[in-house]
Amino acid sequence: MKKVKITIDNKEIEAIEGANLLHTSRLNGFDIPGLCFHHRLTPTGACRLCVVKVEGMPGVVMSCTLTVKEGMKITAFDEELETARRHTLSYLLAEHNEEYDGTYYDEMMPLIERYGLASKGNRPIPAFWHNIPPVIDDTSPVLTYDSSKCIKCFRCIKACEEIQGKGVLSFAERGITKYIVAGYGKWGDSECDGCGECIQLCPTGAIVEKPNRERIQVQQIEKKVVTTCPYCGVGCQIEVWAKNNEIVRVNGLEGVLPNDGRLCVKGRFGYQYANSKKRLTHPMIKRNGTFEKVSWDEALDYVALKFNEIKQKYGNKALAGYSSAKCSNEENYLFQKFFRIAFGNNNIDYCTRLCHASTVTAMIKAFGDGAGSNSIEDFETTDCLIVIGNNIIETHPITATYVKRGKARGQKIIVIDPKWTPLVKYADIYLQPRLATDVALLNGMMYHVIQEGLVNESFIKERVDGGMDTFAQLKEVVMKYTPDVVEKITGVKTDIVKEAAIMYAKAPTAMIATGMGMSQQTVGTNNVFALIDLCLITGQIGRDRCGINPPRGQNNVQGATDVGASPVFYPGYIQVVNEENRRRIAQLWNVPFEQLEPNPGLTTLEIMDAAHDGRIKALYIMGENPVITDPNQLHTIEALQNLEFLVVQDIFETETSAYADVILPAASLFE
Amino acid sequence: MMSEIKISLRRVGKINPLSIDDFIKEKGFEGFKKAITLAPDEVINWLEKSGLRGRGGAGFPTFIKQRSTATSCYTCEARYVVCNADEGEPGTFKDRFVMENDPFSVIEGMLIAGYAIGANYGFVYIRGEYYDSINKIKNAIQQAYEKGYLGKNILGSVFSFDMNVYLGAGSYLCGEELTLIESLEGKRGYPRIKPPFPAEKGLWNMPTLVNNVETFSHIPFILENRYENYASIGTAESKGTKLYCVSGHVKNPGVYELPMGTKLRELLFNVAGGMKEGFEFKGALLGGAAGTFVDESILDVPMAYENLKKQGATLGSGAVIVVDNKTNLKSMMQSILSFFKHESCGKCVPCRIGTTLLNERIQETKLSEEDLNWMLQQAEYMAKYSLCPLGQSPILPLKSVLTYFKKELV
Repeated sequence: MKKVKITIDNKEIEAIEGANLLHTSRLNGFDIPGLCFHHRLTPTGACRLCVVKVEGMPGVVMSCTLTVKEGMKITAFDEELETARRHTLSYLLAEHNEEYDGTYYDEMMPLIERYGLASKGNRPIPAFWHNIPPVIDDTSPVLTYDSSKCIKCFRCIKACEEIQGKGVLSFAERGITKYIVAGYGKWGDSECDGCGECIQLCPTGAIVEKPNRERIQVQQIEKKVVTTCPYCGVGCQIEVWAKNNEIVRVNGLEGVLPNDGRLCVKGRFGYQYANSKKRLTHPMIKRNGTFEKVSWDEALDYVALKFNEIKQKYGNKALAGYSSAKCSNEENYLFQKFFRIAFGNNNIDYCTRLCHASTVTAMIKAFGDGAGSNSIEDFETTDCLIVIGNNIIETHPITATYVKRGKARGQKIIVIDPKWTPLVKYADIYLQPRLATDVALLNGMMYHVIQEGLVNESFIKERVDGGMDTFAQLKEVVMKYTPDVVEKITGVKTDIVKEAAIMYAKAPTAMIATGMGMSQQTVGTNNVFALIDLCLITGQIGRDRCGINPPRGQNNVQGATDVGASPVFYPGYIQVVNEENRRRIAQLWNVPFEQLEPNPGLTTLEIMDAAHDGRIKALYIMGENPVITDPNQLHTIEALQNLEFLVVQDIFETETSAYADVILPAASLFE
Repeated sequence: MMSEIKISLRRVGKINPLSIDDFIKEKGFEGFKKAITLAPDEVINWLEKSGLRGRGGAGFPTFIKQRSTATSCYTCEARYVVCNADEGEPGTFKDRFVMENDPFSVIEGMLIAGYAIGANYGFVYIRGEYYDSINKIKNAIQQAYEKGYLGKNILGSVFSFDMNVYLGAGSYLCGEELTLIESLEGKRGYPRIKPPFPAEKGLWNMPTLVNNVETFSHIPFILENRYENYASIGTAESKGTKLYCVSGHVKNPGVYELPMGTKLRELLFNVAGGMKEGFEFKGALLGGAAGTFVDESILDVPMAYENLKKQGATLGSGAVIVVDNKTNLKSMMQSILSFFKHESCGKCVPCRIGTTLLNERIQETKLSEEDLNWMLQQAEYMAKYSLCPLGQSPILPLKSVLTYFKKELV
């Protein structure tokens, strides 16, 4: 990033070589107008407002199409340029329906004001937009398109293509009558998935959000709060707008990681639950088969009484708790601390058990760390990406935008999945093994890595415990997975297994993204060990843009274990069974050392089994719905019915709370 | 003075355009054979010394384009030659004539250009409506492959060249080189921002040479007969012959190959046989819709780039649409301006709205002095601020029609 000096309107400024000239000028206080330019998109040069003069270049040039070069001399504002800009704006006004209903940000209005065109009498060009039949597309559930407001700036098309990698939008027809189409015709029939990138980037009211449109006035939003989206592990930063204590709109926050303004349909439009009439608002106790509303005091007294009763009657180990992947670090920390101190056991777990717990276990054993080794941005810049058992486009849409941009830069993508996923369209190689044959496939890939001489011996010697001796042990096993054996087991043809192995091993940097396809197997941990072995023998870990990543599903499934919601780990992944750890924790929490249970607790599935056979008598569930999420629903329901006491703390009534003795209403993240 | 030398049309009537053997008998591929005995850059030197200028309409010196395409980006893995056979300019029908009568000359020209700039792939982008040209070029390519003039190691040299035909689909704008490249890449025809120019970043961001059919048909002649022979024809700055397309109420409209600098009087009254019975010469629209009107004062000006430019006129593609005493000039202007509006891609504001405004205004039953001045102002603004040559063009016919024939419009 070389810094150079350029001159704008006789003022010398320091700029970064190769940066966009229009963006740089604006950052330095030169408010050159423009409507089709957006710094997150490639420049278009369509609106002609950003026109400037550059010494040495004939005529006029569009500043959005130029990059900063040492010694550039630019005239940004002079009479000729300003006159031309005014003329261009008056042209735009002629084709643009400027009716404004206050429900969106209009970037044209301030420019009209600035160039003295606000009053219709001042306009040199008579309006003709009303002679062009407008195309209004109201068929999308999340937005409305009105062509009379459209200034054909290309921003929505580029947003859909370049930022989100979807390419659903384009122009229909040519010239003055052209308008935006999604897919081939009606928006509602197209592949538009409602991510709303086009809405956020439209400079006029051509594309506007539908939800709450009748209630929103953008100038009258009372509260704008920045927070994190609760829907998945990506953790997009959102700006929530509230009016009359209700959420009316959510926008993606620009300029911050991981999303830089991007959102998916869930994050952007999935907030209505917060103000739903079905929200739990009162503590309830089940009496005679029905839930009765009670006060907090009464509810909490009752809960404490019952838990103490059961503890005294059956002992510490008869109680268990489900913490929540959808609660904050602080809440999860408190929950596990409460459990360990008040209940005196380690029977605390949560839905990760059904998810990436196997991945985490393998990674902790191998690396000492159970979290992904890369940032989300690395998904764009790594040279080779293996996506295995992970439908990343649907489950982590924003991470997928990084992957698509990586692809556009020439990244190689290998998809390994028994079932087709949308990412296969972008894949260079697609391996489709039979169900549950992943270890064989991966061993088969390692076989090729070894045969082709692509083992990174220096990495193994320097960075792997036991160096080449350990490798020798792995090699002994892996060499049995010859191409014939692998093809027979997995059903995948040898040549593409080999090609994939070579592609991954030879790549300057390579990453693996692993999902439920791998972890939700009884051999899930072993599956991930196989992936880890592949990383280690090729040295594709422990360096920038290399590694292995479990994209996490729930918004705080990672954090919950980090802060100790686990039957075997205290906060920070220190083992419960270790005496020194217990001493430390006891000191930190200011409780007697003897109060902390030394044995590991039960996992979620073990808890349900124990409830079923009567070993667990009381259960405290926070923000989880095991009747739906645990395997074998009947078994789970029987288990819950067998409990003597069940407390469910949630924001809505759920299938699980139906079996509760006490329901405690929870605050959603927005509150 | 009429010269007998023909370059583009030298084989017309002498060969069967579907027969490569006929072509070879008439000195076919002799230019290419000469070219591969020279160093590639030497070939470009010959083009420089010949003075060949692009025949698509802009008249840009061909050697400059070829040299910059040859020398840009040493690390680029491919270079491309593209023949612009989109021929969209109204009043222009010369490229079609060349392709229908001597398609092999175009291939030979592209081969030589490919050799000169280090390209191994060539595309002929033909206007979709030119069914005959398409068939003949495709046939020529196929026969060239069969006879070893296309493919690997042509004539035993180290030079390999592959060619393919790509069809246009009804967009005037796709005749503009950067838009053509977008279309060739399979995308919608929107003009690209320049710079970068195709010589630097063209097809798939590789250095690309785009030249017109007529231009390519001249290159073999220059190599075959040496550049001095070519440079001896024409004027000081416009060398060689030119295909003039004469249309209108003349006795013999058609394509005529004459030395650059032939006077309009010679072209219309000698070669094209003069006006038809009952029609009087009034003027002409030179260069097509994106061209300039002239009246009888230009009849003795040599029709070459520099001479016409001095008179404020354009040679352009070589189209000569003759205007006579019965022509309704307002109607003609309506036609021209509605053409621009129809063909505007709509990407940039000045052209999208400007062509609409001009088209609307010219439809008015009565045009005042103010109306015409207003239109001129809009066209001037468009000429300066539009993204591509389409928006930059309406000023040309508008200004010239007002210069010579204003009273017919008011």
